[in-house]
Amino acid sequence: MTLPSFKRRTALRGLAAATAALALPSVALAQDRPKVIRISYSGAGTGGRPITGGTIISTAHQQGALEKEFAKDGIKIQWTFNPGAGPATNEQLANGLADFAHHGDLPIIIGRSTGLRTKILFSYTRFGSSYITGPIDSQAKSLEDLKGKRLAVFKGTASQLTLGRILKKHGLTERDFKTVSMDGDTLRAAIATKDVDAGFIAPFDLAARGVGKLIYETGPDPDLTAQGVFWASEEFERKYPDIVQRVVTTLIRVAAWSSDEKNRDAQYKLWSNSGTSYYEYQKTFADTPLKWRLSPLLDEYFVDNLRKSIQQAKEFKLIRRDVDINGWLAPQYLNTALKDLKLEGYWPEFNAAGKPRVAQK
Amino acid sequence: MNTASSSVAYAPPSAAPLAPLVPRWRRLAAWLAARALALATGLVLPLLLLAFWQYAVDRHWLAEQILPPPSLVRDSLVELWDNGDLTSNLAISLKRLGWSLLIGGGSGLLLGLAMGVSRTVKAYVYPGFQLVSQFPVIGWVPLLIIFAGIGEALKVSAISIAVVVPVAVNTYQGIRNIPRALLEVAAVYRFSFWQTIRRLVLPAASSSIFNGLRQGVMQAWLSLVFVELLASSEGIGYLMVWGRQLLQLDIVVVGMIVIGAVGIVLDRLLAWCASRLHGWQRRAY
Amino acid sequence: MRIVNALRQADLRGLVLPLAFLALWYAVTRLQLVNTKLIVPPGAVLDAAWKVVASGQLLAGLQASLVRDLSGFAAGSAAGIALGLLLGVSRWAERLVGPTFHTLKQISLFAWLPLLSTWLGTGEAAKILFVALSAFYPVALNTFEGVRGVTRAQVEVARVLGFNRRQLAWRLVLPAASPQIATGLHLALLYAWLATIGAEYLLGASSHGIGNVVIRGKAAFHVELIIVGMLLIGLVGMALNRLAAAVEARVLHWRGPGH
Repeated sequence: MTLPSFKRRTALRGLAAATAALALPSVALAQDRPKVIRISYSGAGTGGRPITGGTIISTAHQQGALEKEFAKDGIKIQWTFNPGAGPATNEQLANGLADFAHHGDLPIIIGRSTGLRTKILFSYTRFGSSYITGPIDSQAKSLEDLKGKRLAVFKGTASQLTLGRILKKHGLTERDFKTVSMDGDTLRAAIATKDVDAGFIAPFDLAARGVGKLIYETGPDPDLTAQGVFWASEEFERKYPDIVQRVVTTLIRVAAWSSDEKNRDAQYKLWSNSGTSYYEYQKTFADTPLKWRLSPLLDEYFVDNLRKSIQQAKEFKLIRRDVDINGWLAPQYLNTALKDLKLEGYWPEFNAAGKPRVAQK
Repeated sequence: MNTASSSVAYAPPSAAPLAPLVPRWRRLAAWLAARALALATGLVLPLLLLAFWQYAVDRHWLAEQILPPPSLVRDSLVELWDNGDLTSNLAISLKRLGWSLLIGGGSGLLLGLAMGVSRTVKAYVYPGFQLVSQFPVIGWVPLLIIFAGIGEALKVSAISIAVVVPVAVNTYQGIRNIPRALLEVAAVYRFSFWQTIRRLVLPAASSSIFNGLRQGVMQAWLSLVFVELLASSEGIGYLMVWGRQLLQLDIVVVGMIVIGAVGIVLDRLLAWCASRLHGWQRRAY
Repeated sequence: MRIVNALRQADLRGLVLPLAFLALWYAVTRLQLVNTKLIVPPGAVLDAAWKVVASGQLLAGLQASLVRDLSGFAAGSAAGIALGLLLGVSRWAERLVGPTFHTLKQISLFAWLPLLSTWLGTGEAAKILFVALSAFYPVALNTFEGVRGVTRAQVEVARVLGFNRRQLAWRLVLPAASPQIATGLHLALLYAWLATIGAEYLLGASSHGIGNVVIRGKAAFHVELIIVGMLLIGLVGMALNRLAAAVEARVLHWRGPGH
């Protein structure tokens, strides 16, 4: 039995209005959430492929941790992998295309010195050894042997700052060499074809292929290593602090998984999807406990190292203006995450000299 | 980016010819005034663009990190000039250009000459040459990088390839266009082969050869910038890469200005040479 | 029958050098006279070519590159014709815009790329704009010269016939300048392809295109892939050149035997 037409129309209109009324609050709520979270990664796998390794962020990406966390809110995660590393991430930030990023210390210092506004949420790498690798037939035994020769490093990235520190320790500067700027892929090829006399890159894959040889290694020296940061853009942090918290908590959970020695092997396997071999990760992460290497804490060591980086960046003429550390760190998210996940004390805190402050649990 | 058809450099409209009865100084004054007017009108647009640039910077249309203010660019230009970075890098780039022009121009000339003069050479070489010449120069670069690495050898060889093609093509066509009558006159005078080359072929084809050289220079400059942006440790292109890595876009703009300036100088130099050459030709005939 | 006759008449001497080169290449790799990692045998190149074509990668890349190329070319050429027309027709426009135009022309094409890619990112926008820029200059210059070549007599006839401004431009000036415009478009097509490939080399490891196939080959040290990519780039360049030359000949032919 059909209703008379005008009654049907009214009923339909009423139904439409009711649906709209129900939908309205969720629309209003949607204004409080972004539709997409954009994360930039200052690096890419070999050949520019969008899978990386070596950090907890890579692990989180491959495990899909953030995607799972935000699936229920209907928020998409958009990952951008930059073969152009830190400098490329800076450009994205300048264009307003990044909400979060994984970044080396030098590029983010450069960014801040030119006025890019970010908030540091946590750190993610430290105490890694640095290597200078040369072609297989290289006669050089030390850095001094390479004076005046072609030395390749990816300029504008954290590697350049670390190289600067290493050179300074030996009383040298970049100008004592013919420094060339090359990204990872190009550098590997250049060492294989003997195009450069040395490069700032790990030797293991190249040595295994018979085309490279280690010339110099720093070992896990806390004075020399670079550290990375994970940041949120100031704008995003101001608008959606709750989203930032959830991102941080999820990533810290992954960090705990990554730092567990039980998962070392599984993690290497995940990372090897980036094109760098399992073998190389095994060698480069061999010398330090995972909890030390992958610690996300913004502890005294971190802050001190950051200050040193800023001062050295100025000294090596890599930045033109001073960088103020005040108001840059936002440790509250990290601390809340640690409390919520009951991970306080899981990672050891380090003092400025790079020694653990309290005994590990 | 010079094109084949535009072989004459741009020149502002000159003053209308005055009657010879007008005193010299008046003519000079009029000529100067016309020049000044041309300069002034020419400057209107650049000044407007500069103002627009400054306006865009003030209004933050693009983040200040990627849109440097004009004053910063000017300061960087001065600073780079003062500390020698600019001149040393520019010198390196120009040296590369010079070598490539020598090698590429020389080989192109020889190739074009051989193809133009000898029927057999042309039959064997020309089709293959045509094939290879339509290949964009930069297509060669990755292969060259594998074989020659990224040192000077790569850069000079890549840029030389860019020069060989226009020089060879224009030389060949210049020789082909020599009127039969001239060749017959040379035969009547019983010129030897080398005499024919030296006293007939080269002068007659000279304007084409020069045209080819001109195109070669422009192609070389184009490829030089490309190669330096791709893989270099020194040079003007490298300076731009360096500026970009450090998020100092003002250095990038300084690089562009310098590249443009060199382009202008090269163009004017070649135009002047061309006019001298044409002058000679007119006098000879 | 015609084919056989054509073959007989064709000068086969031109094939000698390329064939000799191929033979040498094959021999050298067969006899292991060189490092076969670097100088790969022709068979391997064909093999790699087949693999890459079969995987559809090549076609997809080619398509992406051509789309970029042609859209940039179209945009740049349209702008070039417009500006060339303006500069040619109006003395004042030429005095005002001319010097700036000719000065900016001297900035070597690739010097624009770092700035453009910083402002627009490494996505399609920057590449297409760059390609448009490369096509813009040759077309603008040639259109300008073509328009300048229109004689007074022609314009007077048009005035007598009562043409208005738009008709003047559309039905007299542009057709009269069409040979030069065709030359300009020919050059622009070549430059556009050059710019497309160059932009792909310099900008994108993360996007699709023929240039990216080559870059990937270089990163993974697959010389075969590099050669395949190079050959394809060359072939497309040649095809575009032939196409443009044919169109140009057509236009000149239309102009009549007097040209």
